[in-house]
Amino acid sequence: MKKATFPAILSTAIVCYVFWLLITGQLVSLIQGKPAVQQLLAGLIVSIGVALFSARFFIHENPFYLFNPAKFGSLLAYIPVFLVELTKANIDVAKRALSPRLPVNPGIVKVPVGLESEYGQSMLANSITLTPGTITMDVVEQDEKTYYYIHWIDVASEDPEEAGEAIKGTLERGVRRIWK
Amino acid sequence: MTDLLFFAICFMALAFLLIIRLIKGPSVADRAVAADSIDVLTDMALILYALYSGRGIYLDIALVTAILGFIGSTLIAKYLEGKL
Amino acid sequence: MRIVVDILIAFSAFFAFAGVVGMLRMPDSFCRMQSSTNVSTFGVLGVIIGGALYAGFFLGNAEMVVKILLLGVFYIVTSPISGHAIAKGAYRHGVKMTEDAVCDKYGEDME
Repeated sequence: MKKATFPAILSTAIVCYVFWLLITGQLVSLIQGKPAVQQLLAGLIVSIGVALFSARFFIHENPFYLFNPAKFGSLLAYIPVFLVELTKANIDVAKRALSPRLPVNPGIVKVPVGLESEYGQSMLANSITLTPGTITMDVVEQDEKTYYYIHWIDVASEDPEEAGEAIKGTLERGVRRIWK
Repeated sequence: MTDLLFFAICFMALAFLLIIRLIKGPSVADRAVAADSIDVLTDMALILYALYSGRGIYLDIALVTAILGFIGSTLIAKYLEGKL
Repeated sequence: MRIVVDILIAFSAFFAFAGVVGMLRMPDSFCRMQSSTNVSTFGVLGVIIGGALYAGFFLGNAEMVVKILLLGVFYIVTSPISGHAIAKGAYRHGVKMTEDAVCDKYGEDME
């Protein structure tokens, strides 16, 4: 287990504190100009404690990477790309489930991934799992390349490159603009 | 106003349909996935009921069930993998 | 405005229905998981957006809007994690795919 650095603890504490503000409804009363000081202080102490305990599980690279405006812009540009893919996949799987013949053709394929950053890899894997019809099952490293095992409901091709292009072509191009 | 209640009842009916899979499911994974989906559908019904009655307290309950459902299904997955 | 909320919620209910039917009909465990993703993406998204619009414009309650959007973000972040964990755990536990499966690269590489 890696040791937690100071930026990791700071960023985890900020995320915890924002979550606390939203969930207790303090943000709304802060904007209206009547903050409850006791609750704000209690949240600050609890979120720093949680961050000291758990930062080493979450942050292993530079946590302030997204503060670069160009990177943040491409993160915002990724959302519509992802929504289009999500809509297409949802309609496809719903059609399969409701059609009387049940046209499924399942299988597990192995697909190469060209991303190096840990955040980028996990973001791509979560995007693949979130689109219905594909689930990432495992991540392995062989010969300094990263591979995903993906369960696919309609196997169109067993060749790694072609299957990769069909499953995650658009998504990976979107993610690569954000992370290396 | 009442249409929110109607949709809440629709979501609950779907959750009751999933109990068939919860009882029948041949493997543990089927049951875990069905329970997770029942959790999601119940949460949607809770959100709609909160909007119908105009009380925010039901949203807190929905948030707690969402967190518990996530922790529960991750725990079952870890147990199935044999790492617990 | 009111009709937009109703359309969004009905859209969400339709996808939840398709997901539930898929979970009852699909041939093996992994295909059922694919249908459960259907419930937890579009089955949730319509209710979240429609509910936030309703709470903002008809109830005028900012705290409820924040909490509903927070629930939506929570679902989007956590549902792939538990789906991934259950799929891997089920495979390691020995759940078999259906006999019509085309290929199984994971099982071949694990031996």
